Amino acid sequence: MQTFGYVSGALTLAASWPGAAAVLKESDAALTDQATALTAWVRITPANEVTLLLSQAEIGQGIATTLPAILADELGADWSTINLLAAPFAPDYRNPRINFMFTGNSESIQSFHDLMRRVGAAAREMLVTAAARRWQVPASECTTENSVIVHRKSGRQLTFGAVARQAAQLQVPRQPKLKANSELRLAGRSLDRIDVPAKVDGSAVFGIDFALPGMLNAAVRTAPAIGGDLRSMNEAAAMSTPGVVKVVRIPNGAAVVADTYWNARRGLARLDPQFDAGPHSAVSSDSLAAEYLQRLSSGPFVTPIQAGNLDAALARATRVVTLDYANPFLAHATLEPMNCVADVTAAQCRIFAPTQGQELATYALSAALGLRPEQIDVRRSPYIGGGFGRRLVPDFVVQAALISRAVGRPVKTIWDREEDMRRDLYRPATMVRLRAGLDSSGHPVAMHARVVSPTIILPVAPNYAPMMERQGFDPNAMEGMMEWLYDIADRRVEFHLLKLPIPTSVLRGTGYGPNLFALESFIDELAALAGSDPYQYRRALLRGNPRALAVLDRAAALADWSGQSAKGVGRGIAIAHAYGTYIAQVVEAQVTNDIVKLTRVVSVVDCGRVLDPRIARQGIEGGVVFGIAGCKAAVTFAEGRVREENFHRYRLPDLAQTPELVTEFIEGGGPLGGIGEVSPVTVTPALANALYAASGRRLRSLPIGGHGLAFN
Amino acid sequence: MADFSLNVNGRTVQVAAEPDAPLLWVLREQLQLTGTKFGCGIAACGACTVNVDGIAVRSCSIPVGAAGHRAITTVEGLSSDRTHPLQQAWIAEQVPQCGYCQSGMLMSANALLQAIPAPTDADIDAAMTNLCRCGTYTRVRKAIHLAARLMAGARQ
Repeated sequence: MQTFGYVSGALTLAASWPGAAAVLKESDAALTDQATALTAWVRITPANEVTLLLSQAEIGQGIATTLPAILADELGADWSTINLLAAPFAPDYRNPRINFMFTGNSESIQSFHDLMRRVGAAAREMLVTAAARRWQVPASECTTENSVIVHRKSGRQLTFGAVARQAAQLQVPRQPKLKANSELRLAGRSLDRIDVPAKVDGSAVFGIDFALPGMLNAAVRTAPAIGGDLRSMNEAAAMSTPGVVKVVRIPNGAAVVADTYWNARRGLARLDPQFDAGPHSAVSSDSLAAEYLQRLSSGPFVTPIQAGNLDAALARATRVVTLDYANPFLAHATLEPMNCVADVTAAQCRIFAPTQGQELATYALSAALGLRPEQIDVRRSPYIGGGFGRRLVPDFVVQAALISRAVGRPVKTIWDREEDMRRDLYRPATMVRLRAGLDSSGHPVAMHARVVSPTIILPVAPNYAPMMERQGFDPNAMEGMMEWLYDIADRRVEFHLLKLPIPTSVLRGTGYGPNLFALESFIDELAALAGSDPYQYRRALLRGNPRALAVLDRAAALADWSGQSAKGVGRGIAIAHAYGTYIAQVVEAQVTNDIVKLTRVVSVVDCGRVLDPRIARQGIEGGVVFGIAGCKAAVTFAEGRVREENFHRYRLPDLAQTPELVTEFIEGGGPLGGIGEVSPVTVTPALANALYAASGRRLRSLPIGGHGLAFN
Repeated sequence: MADFSLNVNGRTVQVAAEPDAPLLWVLREQLQLTGTKFGCGIAACGACTVNVDGIAVRSCSIPVGAAGHRAITTVEGLSSDRTHPLQQAWIAEQVPQCGYCQSGMLMSANALLQAIPAPTDADIDAAMTNLCRCGTYTRVRKAIHLAARLMAGARQ
């Protein structure tokens, strides 16, 4: 049985295990009153229950297993009985790279791995020291295993719990000695995910499932048009609906608060809110495309990269090729829609939310409510139905808080899918113009790239605003365009930061995805112009990069790249270095009468070292499906509002459309790379390249539906 | 508002609801069966899938008044201890990621296996139209095949 509640300032996350079944109860006095804290991350009860704090949000990526396993490994804790708590916002739980608490950018492992090792080693040293003192033996003769300290010579043992209190009195060692990798028991193993049992019996508590005593429920409707506002509503009709308690005016719309969510929905229907057309009713996908194209041609641009002498190199080139690529707006479409439980009084704000950004939410609430950050307590629900970056943005949290404050009661606000799609902050559409000067063999010797994109980073890092104003470019929108795998001496990269009324932000794979779609499609086109095999053409350009070559060669081998393919079947290849990881992919597609069937996707990934092979593979293969979604669905606009308001129009891939997935890892060493956002990046170009190989049709924009194609 | 007697997970329960209230919200809010999830409200995603007389039904789109005395099974009704072959297979294949779609996946699979005890890949393709944003589809397929074998073994 999964439990969920306050436990010493944190929420229980995953307490139950198949077989082991260590259950954390809401009122577990042993934990709340008697647990000893060894650092901010480890708590141990006299009964030897070991609880680890989890700073990172479990949004499906498996971090709730992999990250605490790193700590437990160093600590020598019994992994099969470990308990986890979702950390509240506190400075201890910040990402040490940027000193901010958030989950995103595929960097949880990259940024926390060393810290988790150090914390585990420090807590282990404290426990060992306390035990060694009791035994009056040198600490160096003691080791830990399965939450027990062992004195090897005498065979004596003490549980962690037996000495935790004394250990906590000791100074936390600043430079604890880490275990040798050969001593690690969990690293490199495929562990059973801690969250799976609760996700097969309905007991996992997501944000939408959380409840507080006396809590009301809110349904909201804001203007369908971007920037629109409420014109009229029938408040009396809403209030006469059974169960309805209050109608609350909120920015751009209204909320109906009732005893149950369904009654709130009924009330909202009777409220019948009417909205104006908003200030952007002239904005449509066509008008946007024209604006992008104009900016792509005329700028103005900033030039973040200027290397060698592009103009001279282009003048020397045998041939110059210029092509444009367009990426669509995409929606996060997390399967769990935005929702939030808020309990706001004049002096306090308590939040329980499926969020990736507890710290940013704290500051946004502080500004919106006029409370000091220490009056605000943002808790994360233990389970979260997808994130993809959407839940870094605190808009839905602030809205829920405003509704609770207006009612003076705890309120759970749930967006319906239409609200979720309309009020998304989309992965921006971008346009990329690439120009290459080719030598006589058809290889690029000079490249010129232009990117037109609205901001990606600003909603999740508002403090970047002055830097962006000063420099005129968004670093996230340039991911994948600043550093190329292909070594080209003479190059220029230009950027135009488009100001749009459409809210845009990070989405799994930004901005590598849009930029690599352009770059890896372009390289494919150059290979075709040179009459070269796209794999061999890339090989020639990657000669100086053994890790890139290794993933490329292995992907080609696994995909039987040079083997015969059936009529209408084509293979497309792409490679990237993104989020610190090398990935090469081969997509195999069959095109029959404009119907595209993906038959196989091969991914070969070098993230340095693989901490959990199965979870890493899940991340890569799930990312492939996410990448396919980016080739299938798109957000479009008409009259200043989004057209895809639910899944009947934002059509995600389903099981029948999912190809065979083949995934291999290469451990190239070096710094750890990310996993979560890596594979969607290469899917889009590899898929477009496969469609070219299969049908001769070159897609320079997505989704494939824009070219008269559809998935099976 | 009317009183309904429902047959949920093998028990008869009484609820007071508007007849047009979706079964989903009655399950979630009145019976606290929160394993069944809200995803789209238009029967497009399948997160709310339950079984009604063994058939996979999207509970966001059927009114409670239409349920009658038919047997409703939610994910909580598969077993009390995660021993249902589908749950065992799901654990063995480590299917879930974020997990939000998985209750609906399990209930679609349950209806499939009741209708077709040894489904082919094509059967699975046709029956499993639930959306998963994490992309767990290939493991869903493997786990259904495994559950079918487990169930066949149990029958022997």
